[in-house]
Amino acid sequence: MGRRDFMRSTLAGFGGFFFLPQIDMKQEMKVVEARGKEKKFVYRTLGKTGIKLPVINMGVMNTNNPSLVRVALDSGMVMLDTAQTYQRGQNEGMIGEVLKGRPRDAFVLATKARLPSDQKTGLYTEEATEDAFLKKVDVSLKNLGLEYVDIYYHHNVSKRESALYEPILKALEKIKKEGKARFVGITTHINEPEVIHAAVDSKVYDVILTSYNFQQKHYAEVRKGIARAAQAGLGIVGMKAIRGAWRQTPTVNNAAAALKWVLQDPNVSVIVPGFTTFEEMDIDLSVGENPMLTDPEKKDLEKVASISGLYCQGCRKCLGQCPEHLPIPDLMRAYMYTYGYRNLAHAQDLILSLNLPTRVCEDCSQCQVKCSIGFNVSRKIRDVARLREVPTEFIA
Amino acid sequence: MDRKYLIVCLLFVSLMAETSGPLWSFGSNWETFVFPDVGGWKQMGEIQTFTPKTLYEYINGAADLYLMYDFQELKVAEYQNGKKVSVTVDVYRHKTPIHAFGIYSQERLPDANFLDIGAQGYIEANVLNFVAGPYYVKLNSFNTGPDDREILIAFAKKVSETLGERGALPSVLSSFPEEGKKKNSEKFIAIKFLGYAFLHSAFTADYELSGTKFKLFLIEGVEGRDCKVMIQKYLQQTGNSEKGVVEGRYTLSDPYNGKIDLHWKGKYIWGILNLNDPSLRSKYLKLFKEGLQKRK
Repeated sequence: MGRRDFMRSTLAGFGGFFFLPQIDMKQEMKVVEARGKEKKFVYRTLGKTGIKLPVINMGVMNTNNPSLVRVALDSGMVMLDTAQTYQRGQNEGMIGEVLKGRPRDAFVLATKARLPSDQKTGLYTEEATEDAFLKKVDVSLKNLGLEYVDIYYHHNVSKRESALYEPILKALEKIKKEGKARFVGITTHINEPEVIHAAVDSKVYDVILTSYNFQQKHYAEVRKGIARAAQAGLGIVGMKAIRGAWRQTPTVNNAAAALKWVLQDPNVSVIVPGFTTFEEMDIDLSVGENPMLTDPEKKDLEKVASISGLYCQGCRKCLGQCPEHLPIPDLMRAYMYTYGYRNLAHAQDLILSLNLPTRVCEDCSQCQVKCSIGFNVSRKIRDVARLREVPTEFIA
Repeated sequence: MDRKYLIVCLLFVSLMAETSGPLWSFGSNWETFVFPDVGGWKQMGEIQTFTPKTLYEYINGAADLYLMYDFQELKVAEYQNGKKVSVTVDVYRHKTPIHAFGIYSQERLPDANFLDIGAQGYIEANVLNFVAGPYYVKLNSFNTGPDDREILIAFAKKVSETLGERGALPSVLSSFPEEGKKKNSEKFIAIKFLGYAFLHSAFTADYELSGTKFKLFLIEGVEGRDCKVMIQKYLQQTGNSEKGVVEGRYTLSDPYNGKIDLHWKGKYIWGILNLNDPSLRSKYLKLFKEGLQKRK
């Protein structure tokens, strides 16, 4: 498959429209006083909770700088997203200090907890009890110095069975009934569609916090799940919009475009990007003022989304699988140089340095290598290994 | 320069690099590191290994913070005894002991129940964490009952022995003034200190004097030039002229972080956050300077 075909099939093959029709410009705008200036932010309603929020808020997890949180709130952000596990409760404690003295209705606080689960299956172990979950909310309230949180999430769920795990569902209902949380939710970083559908089916959750970004290979399924959840009245909060989720390219040059890509979906109420500098915060705030994707931003996203499909994600799980012990990650890198960067000289240099056997991927009846992101490894290797036969002077 | 002299110099430098090695050279045990045998316990399943690209699979969103602290690799082993009691051992390897201390300090509570294990460790119900050189070790126990503490400490000792020397907390912390310092509140912020990318990393400690809480910080530059650039950028950021920057004291009105007093000398910038009293600010800047001088 040629690069052009590959790019075409990557974008189309995602199984949905990469860009959605421009959202209705008659969005709800709110004028707020932000650090002495009047700013207009786009507001959306968080599903059936009825909470109205600016579309951009703060994921606090990666910072322990109280000034950043304070300035974010003073600049128009309203929702702070944290978890008991972030810095072992110190993130909640730091937020609690910042919130002291602020009117309770001036912010929306979301935190989360999880219980022991089997890392391999994602399913709960026997220590995961209703009581254990109930204790967690009390610890969070103490850390935060609050009488209640606005959203309490069942954190980090990757299986339908876990989303519907009865002891936690019972605990969540109790937490809500006792007024320790106004609403309850669920968070998911992987296998999101399955978890989102389970959350809707449970009829317990009010909010879903999900990974959702333009580099997800299954974004169409995530979008479909989100649409169903929104239809059922659940509020949707997006995360991992910029950095992407696991196994994905860790950074995107155009952060604003990545955030806007998520917000083009009208079923997403808000995003909680985890900025760590004031500069990043200002970029995020500018998206909150105008979340419409521009044409250059669309081009940037298309380019990155297409090329990321060419990248080996470097998980190295293929190592040891090939009976010929081929250096697969290096060969995949050469493939990326060839088709992603169009740098044939670099690709050829790499290929020649690998001292490959004369016959490459020609003697196995079936390739034993199972790539973790589904690459047809042998086909890519055969393709790129042909560079050995091209005279160097034709390339350089 | 004389060619022969240059060759001799280069040879000397390369030899020194090989013989002295980096400060965290005991990390070279990592390639051969195997989880220890613990009497009465059996390792369950295979050792799991995670790299910077796959750490998300194990700790999800929390991985971001570990990556900021130059996380290199994680090995995970699970042990079980005959009574179905289990202990999970996570050994995180970071690029340097300072980075390992940094992530450890992010998760350490100043009033924790500290233990003499590795450079430092602490224990609480079902959890024992410690730092040793470039390693951050986290133990979690399940169903251990009243023997929890004993079990976790036994495991920690075994793992610590297997890793090699115990390492030490960063020596630069000794330059922080003692008066009013909250014990075990020291942290290492690996990047974007104070929310500015140009300030890169810093050590901090919390202080309290007669009910006034404040923070001291220390930025260690690669060299004086590095510090000069940081001061210049900070001055520019806060609307001051960045011209004619020399070593000495600066008081800045940071629109985000408030009034900041800092002092630059050599490869160090030290300063104070959230302290209004001018005489106390001067006193602490001076104490800090003395602390740094003693260190030399």
